[in-house]
Amino acid sequence: MSAPQTSPQPLVSVEGIHTYYGKSHILHGVSLDIGPGEVVGLIGRNGVGKSTTLKSIMGLVSPSEGKITFQGQAITHQPPHKLARLGIGYVPEDRRIFKLLTVMENLRTGLDRAGVEDARKQALLDKVFAFFPVLAERRRQAGGTLSGGEQQMLAIARAMMLEPRIILLDEPTEGLMPRMVSQIKEIIGVLHRDGVAILLVEQNVPLTLEACQRIYFMEKGVVRHHAIASKLSVNDPVIHQYLGV
Amino acid sequence: MEIPWDIILIQTVNGLVTGMILALVASGLTLIFGIMDVVNFAHGELFMLGAYMGVVVLTTTGNFWLALVIAVLIVALLGAAMQITTLRPLLGRDPLNTILATFGLSLVLQNYALWQFGPVARKIQEPFTGQFTLFYLQYPWYRIVIAVLSAAIITGLYLFLKYGRYGIWIRATTQDRVMAQAMGIPVPWVHTAVFAIGAGMAAASGVLFGPLVGVNHAMGLDWVLKAFIVVVVGGMGNLGGSIAAAIFISLLEAYASIWVSPSQAIIVSSIVLILTLLFRPTGLFVPTPK
Repeated sequence: MSAPQTSPQPLVSVEGIHTYYGKSHILHGVSLDIGPGEVVGLIGRNGVGKSTTLKSIMGLVSPSEGKITFQGQAITHQPPHKLARLGIGYVPEDRRIFKLLTVMENLRTGLDRAGVEDARKQALLDKVFAFFPVLAERRRQAGGTLSGGEQQMLAIARAMMLEPRIILLDEPTEGLMPRMVSQIKEIIGVLHRDGVAILLVEQNVPLTLEACQRIYFMEKGVVRHHAIASKLSVNDPVIHQYLGV
Repeated sequence: MEIPWDIILIQTVNGLVTGMILALVASGLTLIFGIMDVVNFAHGELFMLGAYMGVVVLTTTGNFWLALVIAVLIVALLGAAMQITTLRPLLGRDPLNTILATFGLSLVLQNYALWQFGPVARKIQEPFTGQFTLFYLQYPWYRIVIAVLSAAIITGLYLFLKYGRYGIWIRATTQDRVMAQAMGIPVPWVHTAVFAIGAGMAAASGVLFGPLVGVNHAMGLDWVLKAFIVVVVGGMGNLGGSIAAAIFISLLEAYASIWVSPSQAIIVSSIVLILTLLFRPTGLFVPTPK
């Protein structure tokens, strides 16, 4: 078993969280760490609690036990809007574009923060539009009229507007054409080079192995295994065990 | 039968004037419903309190326009306080909870007004009394001013929602409360602000409409009932739809009162409501749902 060392000062640290939806107990003590600028994968079958882990970190569901810290500061019961301002970006599985808002207005929801100067806003927009030229073309179009792939780009671009230290990325390639998938892989690489940490939930194993430094494996609401991505191959028995592919 | 064109024109003007005031009341109501799924039964009381604040400030200062501004600000603040203390803790609960809460607020506010101001109707003096001749009628300019001012306030709201930073926050929160929070939008405060804006708009209509009727503690009842009809006919939570429905229903009532008495003409809006609920429950003035 490879039990890699996590960085001494994790950016986000999740310690034994238990999360419920009503009466159903979804997370049974999940623990994981993400270092600054690190790309970490979270793998497991459907329904093991991967998305719930992301939602718990984002404050969208409140863990009843356990602790989450961001840069050493406890954030367990903070409201999501404060976490977003602290530097946690969230790209949900179903993208959740504001469908009636234009592409530009979608971006402005994250851009119009107090204390961001106009020049800085423009620089951020230029950067995103350079990655995703199609968003620049469609900036006046309603978000709901974009294709699935374009909506995914918009969801990532929108999270980037917050200038986050970490992005929680939930199944970004689900249902996308191969060309779009490689574009998503590229953007993960770009974010990584910019020093943005990523917690990536994915079903696409080759992409996860390539994009991530470390991988956590979840089963039935707990993290069961933890490995360095470069030491795994697509046909690794560990992957078979936790993903059944 | 000869068509009485002069009467029809007069009633068109009357209908538009009432329609704009109604639109001002209803747009606050529909905005509040759209963003927090709260059916605000206390909206008529905010209208009534606005009128009373107008009376109080007008008596003290003698300035109608000052009274309008101060009444709007005070009732907006009161609305914010109501939202924070009563509605915020109930967010996400069954709508029945908020309906009961706002209904309770409406009873409290109505009886407060009765206790504070007594049962005798007060009068707001209109800021000017000029008239112009409309066929055989001397029509007061003030009514036209009300319609124009209401339209201006609604246009201001529209521009704010469309282009303002906080307007975008409000629209984003209306569409997806959870994702708005995840984008750093302070959703609880957006809710409070929207409630305050709705309350302020109700107060503005109360002051503006005050000179045409007496100000009393129960004056909100008629209006809120009509505003609810407008909000349903226009499509719940749809601002443009509410404005169109307010004008549509007011015009229908105005025309109907050519042939029947005004109190019977109110039946028209109920008929429109029933037909809407039967045949197009998502609202008359919204695009066909896909």
